[in-house]
Amino acid sequence: MHIMQSVVWAVLLWPCLVSLGVPLECKDEQGSIILCASISKEKLLDRVIQHAELIYRVSEESCTLFEEMFVPFPMRSQRNQAGYTCATKAFPIPGSKSEIQQISDKWLLHSVLILVQSWIEPLVYLQTTLDRYDDAPDTLLKKTKWVSEKLLSLEQGVVVLIRKMLDDDMLTTSYYEQGVAPYALQPEVLESVLRDYTLLSCFKKDAHKMETFLKLLKCRQTDKYSCFLH
Amino acid sequence: MTSSDPSVQAPHLTGCKSREQETFRCWWSPGSFQNLTEPGALQIQYWKKNDLTKEWKECPDYSSSVKNECFFNKNNTVIWIKYCVRLHSESQNKTYDTLCFELQDIVHPDPPVALNWTLLNISRSGLNYDIMASWEPPPSADVSVGWLTLVYEVQYRRRNSSHWKVLEHEFGTQQSIYGLQTGEAYEVRVHCAMRAFNHFGEFSDVIFVHVPEIPNKESTFPVTLVLIFGAVGVAILLMLIIFSQQQRLMVILLPPVPAPKIKGIDPALLKNGKLDELNFILSGAGMGALHSYPPDLYQDVPWVEFIELDADEPEPGEKDNQSSDSQRLLGHNNHHTNHGCFHGLSIPDDDSGRASSYDPELPDQETLMLMAALLSCQPNKVDTPSLDVLEVPCPGLQAPDLPPEGGERHLVQTQLGGPQSWVNMDFYAQVSDVTPTGGVVLSPGQQVGAPENTPTTKKDKKGKMEGGEEESEEEEERRTNKLKFQLLVVAPEAGGYTTESSGRQMSTPDPSSPGEVYHTFPPPSAESKPHQEAYLPATTLLGDYQSPYILPDSPPAQFLPPVSDYTVVQDVDFQHSLLLNPPSPQRSPTCSPQPPSKPLPVMPIGYLTPDLLGNLSP
Repeated sequence: MHIMQSVVWAVLLWPCLVSLGVPLECKDEQGSIILCASISKEKLLDRVIQHAELIYRVSEESCTLFEEMFVPFPMRSQRNQAGYTCATKAFPIPGSKSEIQQISDKWLLHSVLILVQSWIEPLVYLQTTLDRYDDAPDTLLKKTKWVSEKLLSLEQGVVVLIRKMLDDDMLTTSYYEQGVAPYALQPEVLESVLRDYTLLSCFKKDAHKMETFLKLLKCRQTDKYSCFLH
Repeated sequence: MTSSDPSVQAPHLTGCKSREQETFRCWWSPGSFQNLTEPGALQIQYWKKNDLTKEWKECPDYSSSVKNECFFNKNNTVIWIKYCVRLHSESQNKTYDTLCFELQDIVHPDPPVALNWTLLNISRSGLNYDIMASWEPPPSADVSVGWLTLVYEVQYRRRNSSHWKVLEHEFGTQQSIYGLQTGEAYEVRVHCAMRAFNHFGEFSDVIFVHVPEIPNKESTFPVTLVLIFGAVGVAILLMLIIFSQQQRLMVILLPPVPAPKIKGIDPALLKNGKLDELNFILSGAGMGALHSYPPDLYQDVPWVEFIELDADEPEPGEKDNQSSDSQRLLGHNNHHTNHGCFHGLSIPDDDSGRASSYDPELPDQETLMLMAALLSCQPNKVDTPSLDVLEVPCPGLQAPDLPPEGGERHLVQTQLGGPQSWVNMDFYAQVSDVTPTGGVVLSPGQQVGAPENTPTTKKDKKGKMEGGEEESEEEEERRTNKLKFQLLVVAPEAGGYTTESSGRQMSTPDPSSPGEVYHTFPPPSAESKPHQEAYLPATTLLGDYQSPYILPDSPPAQFLPPVSDYTVVQDVDFQHSLLLNPPSPQRSPTCSPQPPSKPLPVMPIGYLTPDLLGNLSP
């Protein structure tokens, strides 16, 4: 099954997957994460970025699929309403580009990690709810499943990246208990369809955030000064 | 949009777009309401999700250059936060339209710049070429920082066409275009979108691609002509050859497969599964057509048949009990005493009556052994790896006991050394009849109690295979006489080409005895001999005549004339007919009886001793 999935995804996303190659996690025999001593910082960052790009792309496709299948037209894109609210994180993320560009590396990485970790559980939850849909397309289920798995790899990769770039050795689980609360508890979303749609849209947005942060980080690795201008 | 009247259109927001994800603009249309066309009658108000207050704010910047546009600059633009913009009339305190979005969802990038193309290559024929189109991202998009990730789409078309061909999305800033034709003018354009949001921006300026034709056609034209004509000529030649030599080609390519056929017998009977009827017919019950040749056709049979036996040692791995070849040859086993008739080749299958296909490439020794086996009624075994042997259940008391022996190969390996006790020699074929065409009809040899056969050398009748005549020492002088009368097993009316001449010469075999096996060919048909020889094994050893071997287990021997095993050639008359002794009275009564008496001046049966042979002249 896993092989089949991999094959399906290789076919669908071959331009990106070609460069993904080796997974980011490096585990020793006991299963704990150790430094991937063989991979350089730049390469690791590239891989992490590719993961994030892929996740973002797949999340967007999933959202579109879901929207076409299940969301009635007037409610699409929340055109006329303030609509849903994505769950806020414990930390505020600045909105403007200039502010974001001024976020430190450390903060960028930690933000990415927080985002990734906060979405692991909701995506698992989303999978179970999607299974309950009668006519959920197979591709949608596969995509969400794929995204959950890739999110885990991304988390591990970011942890390693943090360790490498920031020499920060904290464990992954010391951060967040938050983000576990499923979106079903949001009071303003009653219907399960809208709830799931909200979930997917918010995830799409956060995936975009992750990708942007990582890319900003990458820019700084190459050319620190020009990245802060603009 | 409260009114549904198409002529009256309410004021509405036409859209909000961002070019670079740092600023955005919104446009509205006042509609057809007359009282709202003055500037200031409508306002754009917006609200952000993270605003501390829930108030709608006025548009920060109404564009001076563009009508009905509201511009949000960098300071007023945040990403990942929901905006709501509404078209509001303050005087009427009425909101005509509302639009909510997030910044990243409304990005429509500017077109790429610096679109250019380079020639990659031109095809050999000079008709096609490939180009590489390259461009740069829009300067407004901050791609280097990573703020925007763009995907590009290239489109091209012929100058006069109206349909753009779209190439796949490209993440890089160059794209190769294949398969353009020389002499044609093309247009290329590109636009980009933010990855995964698929709002493509406007197209870039169109560039023109043109590669003139390469004027090389004159030099290649005659070459092409020559090649074409040459090919046509060759084709015509081939057709002529084929049509003129059609017959020969057909023969070579598709050698006809001879249908099983026995003259006088319905070919349908020769098919699978109809053995019983065939046996019945052949055994004489329905003998109409098979006994039809007159006896006076046996004149002029300048043939002699004799068979040389190989003197090879038997294979050491003999399973049979026999201790020596000669014993085997002589058939001292109990089995074959009662098998008066042929014990032919045993084939692996259980259909004992059927002649099996036969390896034409028998080595000489094997052919001899083959013939020896044919003539004997013992399940002798000789290891001949390539030979399939047809086994004939010999009619006799023990006929049912003669199994194919599990498909083993039985060949008598004759050994000419040792005492030539002919007592048990039953591997000779007795010529029981002669066909009008000069062929010899043989009958299965019986156990020879004929001491008068002692002078005869051990010559087994055999099908003349491949010229394989093994010589015994005694036959040397015969050899030198160069009388090669060949006993040929023939397929008379078998396939198309083997023996049209000889086939016609052949007629049906002696129908009387089931043991009639062979037909001989007169030597004049030597030229067709190779065919026959080569051909013989293709069908059966016995040609078409499966009849002799299709002996029922309890053969109806009662109505068959007893056939003597062999007779000694006593003399040869002026017509080169062999004068033979009358057949020996000692023979198994169960063996196939002698054919109805024909006043044969010549005996087509018998063995030719060397001294007798010397009397013969070709």
